[in-house]
Amino acid sequence: MVNHLANIADPLPPAIRIDRLCFAYQAKPALHGVTLDLPARQVTAFIGPSGCGKTTLLRCFNRINDRIPGARITGGSIHIHGIDINRPDIDLQELRRRVGMVFQKYNPFPKSIYENVVYSLRLSGIRKRSQLDESAEAALRSAALWDEVKDRLHSSAMGLSGGQQQRLCIARAIVSQPDILLMDEPCAALDPIATLKIEELLHQLKEQFTIVIVTHNMAQATRCADHTAFMYLGKLVEFGPTLQIFQTPHDPQTLAYVTGSFG
Amino acid sequence: MSKTASAPHRFNKSGLSLEKAIKFFFASNAGLTIVILVLIIVFLLKEGLGFFPGYRRELEIYRIAGLEFVDLSRQNLTTHEQLASVLNRAYYAEINGKCARELKRSREAAALFNAFSDQTTATRDLILNNLTAGIDPDSEMLATLRKNHAANVQKALAKLPPTPHLTLTERTALIDSLRSRDVTAKDDPPLVATLTEQYAAAQQVQAKPLAGLRATIDAFEATGSDLSTLVSEMTTAVTATKESLQNADILEKDRKTLLAAAARAKDPAERARLMADAQASLAEQADIDGPMQSLMLRKPTCIEAHNALRQTSSEILTQLPTALSQPEAERLLRAARKAAPVFLTTLGQAPGQISQWRHDTRVPLSAAIRSFLTGKDWVTGGEWQDFYGILPLLVGSLMISMVALCLAIPAGVGAAIYINQFASGHEQSLVKPVIEFIQAIPSVVLGFIGILVFGSVLRDLSQLDSLAWVPGFPIEERLNIFTAGCLLALMSIPTIFSLAEDALNNVPSAYSEASDALGASRIQTSFRVVIPAAFSGILAAVLLGLGRVIGETMVVLLVAGNRIKIPDFSSGIGAFLQPSHTLTGIIAQELGEVPLGSVHYRALFVVGILLFTIVLGINATAHKFVSRTQH
Repeated sequence: MVNHLANIADPLPPAIRIDRLCFAYQAKPALHGVTLDLPARQVTAFIGPSGCGKTTLLRCFNRINDRIPGARITGGSIHIHGIDINRPDIDLQELRRRVGMVFQKYNPFPKSIYENVVYSLRLSGIRKRSQLDESAEAALRSAALWDEVKDRLHSSAMGLSGGQQQRLCIARAIVSQPDILLMDEPCAALDPIATLKIEELLHQLKEQFTIVIVTHNMAQATRCADHTAFMYLGKLVEFGPTLQIFQTPHDPQTLAYVTGSFG
Repeated sequence: MSKTASAPHRFNKSGLSLEKAIKFFFASNAGLTIVILVLIIVFLLKEGLGFFPGYRRELEIYRIAGLEFVDLSRQNLTTHEQLASVLNRAYYAEINGKCARELKRSREAAALFNAFSDQTTATRDLILNNLTAGIDPDSEMLATLRKNHAANVQKALAKLPPTPHLTLTERTALIDSLRSRDVTAKDDPPLVATLTEQYAAAQQVQAKPLAGLRATIDAFEATGSDLSTLVSEMTTAVTATKESLQNADILEKDRKTLLAAAARAKDPAERARLMADAQASLAEQADIDGPMQSLMLRKPTCIEAHNALRQTSSEILTQLPTALSQPEAERLLRAARKAAPVFLTTLGQAPGQISQWRHDTRVPLSAAIRSFLTGKDWVTGGEWQDFYGILPLLVGSLMISMVALCLAIPAGVGAAIYINQFASGHEQSLVKPVIEFIQAIPSVVLGFIGILVFGSVLRDLSQLDSLAWVPGFPIEERLNIFTAGCLLALMSIPTIFSLAEDALNNVPSAYSEASDALGASRIQTSFRVVIPAAFSGILAAVLLGLGRVIGETMVVLLVAGNRIKIPDFSSGIGAFLQPSHTLTGIIAQELGEVPLGSVHYRALFVVGILLFTIVLGINATAHKFVSRTQH
């Protein structure tokens, strides 16, 4: 494995440490012993053909897979900031406040823009108007949406364009200041211009957050990601700095995939 | 190309005729439902709209015959009687409240004795009949009968009602006296007689300090007698006028029918005969002026009687005591004290109304419509005057629906939320079919469960001493608004549950996933995201439940008590424990018995139209909400 290369380039301790992780949906295994350290304050992209387990892996980090009956980790561990998140005494709500997530299909709630953004603050019981206003503005600014919506904060989020809705979802995910932001093909449902905006946003956001992004679009991975992991059939094939993965992959499978021979 | 077009070919259209026939079959089914709906609406309107002119004519006769004039006085007389009755009830409530112990003991002993008698009369009467028929008292047959009777007595003694206010010794003594009771005995058992005497004695003792109140009430009752005599004299006169007017109307209608028939008749002889018949049925003008003049001559007497009544009543009513000791009596007294000034004011207005009244004021069609929509009386088939005011029916329907919804919304929506959001798969597969099974119970079955089980249990419960604080308890009628509302709630729970569950199910899982990913707990996700997103769907479910409740007939007919009267709201929430009638119930009950084409018959159709409109409105609103959820 080539993990050490990443570690040399990265002075911070890894944000997520995955050790021989196995995962199964009921009787159907989806991940087979994935070992990987994700560097903090950087963008890591997961690439690979459909069904290779990259989304499953991503959804393990905030344990959102728990929603699916029968889905469970069958071996190995994930440590976030040194804590095994699969322990039974983990407070899931706290974990998910620390690990935000943006989904493939933008999914704002049928509420106002403002209520969408402050949703997670309201969940943690914050009632002070000034604090809510301040955080909402900061999050919307970080998501590069503030200028577009500042005059209609209290109108429905459903009236925004697709790209705006996705950026609203990003604002909603970062308002509670998580450490890690998971993005599951965030641009799959967007047009090229909206995609470009989100990609620009990623560059700003990685100053504050550790970002993990799943993408089908290899050009997007080269544009945004510092590191790239290539997965195939539930296994991690290769992990390294993005340029190296795309230009001089060590593994023949990676080479075949990035040159478009399969997938 | 032109060759293949005429000759049979691979894509020949002949095979499509069956397809066309199938398509036509389904299209005609769909068309038929629309045609039927249109026919129903047309029929309802055709039968119903004739009501208002007919009712207008009835109200006109009511006026020109002078019935309306008499009612001006009669209303006041009725209020006077009601006030007197409330005072009487207060008086007896006070006395009975003070000797509540004696009353209960006497009642319980009597109830026990009655239960015993009910079960033993059959065999006792057999023996008595044989004795009076002169059978030898020592005969074998009589011995057998006596043996049967003794066995019956044993059986009856085994299941006697409880007597919580009798001591054990008293109860044992009473049972012993029943066991050894001679078949020929006619008197009450000694204990029953003693307790009745004790009760009477207690009543007398308690009545003494209330002698003043008794005198006041008696005096008040007596003040109405002058007006009462006057009203009954006038009643006889105007009823006769009304009858002659109605007869003239009928003859006139006959004549028109005959004339129409004559115009159609082809045979000259036949036509002549019909014309002659029509001439014969030419009504002589009913004499209304004569009776009316003599009625008008009574105006001064009438006014005088009112003034006298007002004078004496206001003097007497000031002598009412300010407070009574028993809560029920106190409530009634307060009601009477509140009603008294209103009564006096109406009495004060009466002379003006009487002197201004004229029999020849026109009755416009709007008066008939207003009387229908805002009338407080639905009186039919009476000797005096029929009124078709839907207010009591509408209020009954609305109150029953209110009770039903108050119970069904929490139960139905709550169950839907639980099943959809929190229940395990096992619970879901158990609860859902059970709730939906309720829908399969025929409403008539539910109705008699309501009467026999629910109504009776509720009444028995209401008679417990420990529950006397509940407003409206003890209830007199086991069939009432509350009972009907409870059963309708049971009927509408499946509707509300299924539709609300569907609405919750239709909320995209992306919402709850996003909420979970933002660190929401299960409850937070449900109450902050899923339920608000499903809100309009849930509202639609509630509205459709309401539509079902308002339109339901069988249960309300069986259980609501069918008393056509606006409930008495003076007892507060207790008004919901009174019997009532409903829009649906009145149609079901009366339509079978009314003469075809009569005003009453048409009135029921208008009620039907109203009902149809209400339910249509509710469903249309619900539909709007449903479509809002889907977009």
